[in-house]
Amino acid sequence: MRWMPTCRDATELASREMDQRLSLLDRMGLKMHLAICRNCRRFAVQLEEMRRLFRLETGADDNAAGLDPDARRRIEAELQKKLDV
Amino acid sequence: MRNDLDAHTWLAEHGDYLFRVARRQLHSDELAEDAVQETLLAALGARERYAGDASPRTWLTGILKHKIVDLIRRNVREVEIPRDEEGEEAIDALFKRDGHWAEPLRPWGNPQTEAELGQLRRVLDDCADRLKPVMAQVFSLREVAGMETEEICKELGITPTNCWVLLHRARLFLRECLESNGFSGAVLS
Repeated sequence: MRWMPTCRDATELASREMDQRLSLLDRMGLKMHLAICRNCRRFAVQLEEMRRLFRLETGADDNAAGLDPDARRRIEAELQKKLDV
Repeated sequence: MRNDLDAHTWLAEHGDYLFRVARRQLHSDELAEDAVQETLLAALGARERYAGDASPRTWLTGILKHKIVDLIRRNVREVEIPRDEEGEEAIDALFKRDGHWAEPLRPWGNPQTEAELGQLRRVLDDCADRLKPVMAQVFSLREVAGMETEEICKELGITPTNCWVLLHRARLFLRECLESNGFSGAVLS
């Protein structure tokens, strides 16, 4: 990687930074790039935003579809089978 | 008798909740159903150990998380890591040859109400469902289940580099998908 990462490189670094600590060189490259690039700054913010939305208590969305009646019956039957043993 | 009642009550009271949690991480109705079933069966087998310290829902959700990881692991073994060129092409389209963004990025606003948040989460889930299977699963383990990448690599038997590449692609894809589904502007502002 050159001393100044391209946008494409920067998205990779920004993504990896979400998962691990970057090397000093990578961190500096990303920082420099973000200082001059509005698009990549937005990208980095949006990565955080997506993480926040995905982590919001999963399944708390009561409007999403639940178990359909057939699935519920199948599970019910399996539970009963185990209880009957 | 009391125990019978418990197992059926779990399904009645927490079945939908467990299913939704599983559905978001597994991206498949069938797998989510399997996860709920395996969770309740395991709970039934382990009910003596349930001390009642946590609420049943919290206890069941804890079991569910393990079942989800099991199911993902079993399924990933059956899927090939997508060939590199394919993913590269999708990424190529987002950038110019010199590595700059092909299109400027618009800022996202903040959802204000519960309804807006719910709508957003649905768009997000739809987009996540469209990820390639391996990508979706790595992404879910990381972002939904909150596992560390080393753990994910170990569980799925893939290299860390593959993990970063898959996550990078998944995030680029999701961002595009969200934006093309009206994520910026109306919904969020």
